[in-house]
Amino acid sequence: MSKVTLKVLTDEDIRQIHNTSLQLLQEVGIEVEYEPAVEVLKEAGMRVEGRRVFFDPAYVEKKVAEAPHDFTLYARDPKHNVHIGGDDVAYVPGYGAPFVIDAGGNRRPSTWEDYMNLLKLAHMCEEMDLSGGMLVEPNDLDDRTRYLDALYAHIRYSTKCLMGSSYGADGARDTIELLAPVFGGKDALKEKPVVITLINTISPLKLDARQTGALMEYAKWKQAMVIASLVMAGSTGPATLAGALAVQNAEVLAGITLAQTVNPGTPVVYGSASSITDMRTGSVSIANAEAALLTASTAQLARFYGIPCRAGGGLTDSKTVDGQAGYESALMLMSPVTAGVNFILHTAGILQYWLCMSYEKFIMDAEIAGVIRRFKRSIDVNENTLALDVIRKVGPGGHFLTQIHTKRNHKTEMRKPVLSDRQSYEGWSKEKLTTEQQAARVWKKMLAEYEDPGLDEALQKHLQEYIEARKREITK
Amino acid sequence: MILEELKEAVMEGDRELVEELCQKVLDEKINPVEAVENGLIKGIEEIGRLWTEGEMFLPDVMMGADALKAGLDILGPELSKAKAAGDAKEGKGKIVIGTVKGDIHDIGKNIVAAMMTAAGYDVYDIGFDQDAAAFTNKAEEVGAQIIAASALLTTTMGEQKELVACLKERGLRDKYKVIIGGGPTTQGWADEIGADGWAETANDAVSLCNKLLAG
Repeated sequence: MSKVTLKVLTDEDIRQIHNTSLQLLQEVGIEVEYEPAVEVLKEAGMRVEGRRVFFDPAYVEKKVAEAPHDFTLYARDPKHNVHIGGDDVAYVPGYGAPFVIDAGGNRRPSTWEDYMNLLKLAHMCEEMDLSGGMLVEPNDLDDRTRYLDALYAHIRYSTKCLMGSSYGADGARDTIELLAPVFGGKDALKEKPVVITLINTISPLKLDARQTGALMEYAKWKQAMVIASLVMAGSTGPATLAGALAVQNAEVLAGITLAQTVNPGTPVVYGSASSITDMRTGSVSIANAEAALLTASTAQLARFYGIPCRAGGGLTDSKTVDGQAGYESALMLMSPVTAGVNFILHTAGILQYWLCMSYEKFIMDAEIAGVIRRFKRSIDVNENTLALDVIRKVGPGGHFLTQIHTKRNHKTEMRKPVLSDRQSYEGWSKEKLTTEQQAARVWKKMLAEYEDPGLDEALQKHLQEYIEARKREITK
Repeated sequence: MILEELKEAVMEGDRELVEELCQKVLDEKINPVEAVENGLIKGIEEIGRLWTEGEMFLPDVMMGADALKAGLDILGPELSKAKAAGDAKEGKGKIVIGTVKGDIHDIGKNIVAAMMTAAGYDVYDIGFDQDAAAFTNKAEEVGAQIIAASALLTTTMGEQKELVACLKERGLRDKYKVIIGGGPTTQGWADEIGADGWAETANDAVSLCNKLLAG
């Protein structure tokens, strides 16, 4: 286990939350708005009344234990394969925002052009381990079929792992159909997960038809899923954080149980986007002390179940790349990484509680994420790092700048900033760039340097034909 | 003092106490117009004031609005008689509110409804996953001035456009002010679909209604 391990709950606290969730699952049940899921759970022996499924605690514990402790997501380029679990953390860009906020704070509906730009940035940015999913809503494309364009773009223009469509069983099937020929056919997929999809519960205590339909389809193909709950303490859950966690935990356990019932061993990630309600306006607030506590608690709960975990992100309620955006995002990345979260969706780009993406914020968050990844790596203590020989050699009053030990070690020991300004005042004052202005330069340069990784022509044609045929079907 | 008790009970958001007191109003033949105007409404006005000052929070407003509604349900028949006789003031206006078809997010809508109630409007909440016809029919039934439609998803925003189209089709477009709101919506979207207004927050929604009805 990593030396850096933030704990905010005792083992006894975890046990109490677990027991409360099991009690909720058994006595209150989960409203499952997807008939095939209700059927599957009924056949597994769960008591069902209408669409309300009452889970047997022993069955839940048995099924959750069948989920893998960790797994590898396979990428088109094997150097981008991602291990999900253990002490590793995978950073994933912001997801699903319908707006972009430009430098200076002007908000506008996001477009396909933004989508492509962010995709290229995600591919280029070293800190991003996946290219992500719906990077922003391309509002200028037909909302019924835009997920097809989005999936194709990920496959075509990035060689990193991507996130699938959760747009019902159909969205999941299309995701599988598009990925199968890229990874050697459908049977090959069952052996190795190549896509991970965000499946959200509806708080409190519901699984909706669309997401649940996608869940069952992905489970059939043993593709990975983040099963995530978003309890807003004070509105969609109790105002008390322990109660909010009990509700979240019940929902996630229900989703995991369903996935393992459909196909035991399906890789799942225990997910949480839980946060609090601003009690003045009813709006969600996603970056605060309470959210950081929920995030760290989620890591502890997932570890209790032996399942990889998703929580946190470069999150903020701010509307522009300012001080608030910086300190909130740093907190909301520090908490999950130090607590042992393995998959951080929304690592980069988010403004205004998931509603907006910002290119400049993307760069700032990547920097924060890089700093925190370094922090998580902790301090190696061994003969080389203790450096006794070189200290002896330099002796009192000398310096280490010209030692071979320094030259050899500083690059791995010290992370070099991409964005942070470390110049003297004189150097900085020539242009007096703010973080936002500096970040704008970085992303523009990164975009200009993007290189098309290419994709086999015949494969491109095959995928395009599939997409055209599906579009005709969907829009007819 | 039952009027003071009614006011306090609304401010406490104590629905059961409000119901009990309203029953007492009927049983003891206390003037129902007095009970509403100088009791229940005073309570909700006070909540509105304290909320504006930052001393009360959403649960206070929403529970207060619920308690008020429970009281009005009991006193309703008597109040209608008084209104018919011209003894009671007409309300500020009638608003039909709901979340559009395909969308089950109703917390924001509930908050807006509570704020409108607190501001003195008669609010008819038709719930969530409601199609354009449901909004239109309810507005026709109660004689509303404003129809308010909420959508949280980019995939359900289109239903707000449907609502405007439905009103046009039935020749009712000019009869109602249509206002929209919800996470992904904007003033630009409201303009595009020909709605009469858009608001980002519950407070703005109330100001918008005031403005539309004053105009």
